[in-house]
Amino acid sequence: MGIGVVVGVLGVLILFHAAYSTIQYRGLLKIMEEEFSGPPMNVVLELLLGLVLSMWAGLTVPGNFLSIHPDSEENRIVSLPANLDFMIFNHRGRVFPLEMNVKLKN
Amino acid sequence: MVTKTEETQLNTLENQVDNGGGGAWEYLCLVRKLKVRRSDKVLKYGLSILNDVKQRSSLGPDEWTLYEQVAIAAMDCQCLDVVKDYLKVLQKRFPESKRVGRLEAMLLEAKGSWKEAEEAYSSLLEDNPLDQVILKRRVALSKSQGNISGAIECLNKYLEIFMADHDAWRELAEIYVSLQMYKQAAFCYEELILSQPTIPLYHLAYADVLYTLGGLENLQTAKKYYASAIDLSGGKNTRALFGICLCSSSIAQLTKGKNREDKEGSQLQSLAVKALEKDYKQRAAGNLPLLSSALKSLILLP
Repeated sequence: MGIGVVVGVLGVLILFHAAYSTIQYRGLLKIMEEEFSGPPMNVVLELLLGLVLSMWAGLTVPGNFLSIHPDSEENRIVSLPANLDFMIFNHRGRVFPLEMNVKLKN
Repeated sequence: MVTKTEETQLNTLENQVDNGGGGAWEYLCLVRKLKVRRSDKVLKYGLSILNDVKQRSSLGPDEWTLYEQVAIAAMDCQCLDVVKDYLKVLQKRFPESKRVGRLEAMLLEAKGSWKEAEEAYSSLLEDNPLDQVILKRRVALSKSQGNISGAIECLNKYLEIFMADHDAWRELAEIYVSLQMYKQAAFCYEELILSQPTIPLYHLAYADVLYTLGGLENLQTAKKYYASAIDLSGGKNTRALFGICLCSSSIAQLTKGKNREDKEGSQLQSLAVKALEKDYKQRAAGNLPLLSSALKSLILLP
């Protein structure tokens, strides 16, 4: 968990740095009176690195993936709940009393 | 619904609690969540928690839920003295509560005094005529008196109001099956499949009912539903695999001499046989000869 958060923060910081570099680069272009043809190489690299890091953090930090297959162990239903709303007490349990000292102490 | 993971969790926890490893409260919570009927164990471990003042007070407001759970378990085990003590405690804490009133009526039911229980339920219904739990208890009351037709009538009336209650539909289906009224039961299972199409056990039960009804058309539909049960359970439901085998063999007997090429059907059946054999080899190798002789008698194996 800790590593994931650190990596995520790092990724976001790199993205911010890329934004800052772009603004700086555009300012430089204005001074040099050149046309904007594309972002510089280091900004593109930073963007890609930031994307990978933040994506990795976004996928690992919130938790594991849950299965959506109906036949996976977590989703496969093996028995229905006993219908307790319709439970009846008129059964053979009456003939077999429990052998334990059940008493409420207060 | 109890999934495979929850079932294993319940079993390990039960083992742990049975061997004195602690975790009784977690076990009771899980039993309540999964709605399984383990009344004897709930009574045993619930009582030990409730008798221990320290443990009991550490539960906070959950204490009263535990009281209710253990009281119902005690009724199921016919330990009526305990129930009476608990009801006194609950009445003191929650005077004029409907939920406690329901427990009292259930105690009357457990004692077998049907008339008094019926009166108690009726008086509770006067205050709130649409109380689902009490309406269901009345169905159970007629069922425990052996008045099955009365229970069906009550349940049908209930389902006219609360059509989305799948537990009630399941109860009605089971009652119909117990009376061998398969057509009506099939209707109930259709409702259940419509409301919860991803639960393989409903498909399985519907297919069972159709197979029991018989006839070529019903058998073919049953086979389809067994196949969908296999699909939804990932082939781990042995009953559905056997269902495919039985359906194929009876369909083959019915259409014998008509010389219809049913290639897909025979493929399905040989796949089911293979899956069964693999499953038996893995889990019960000793019973494998038994399986092959049974399949041979169905003329599925050469």
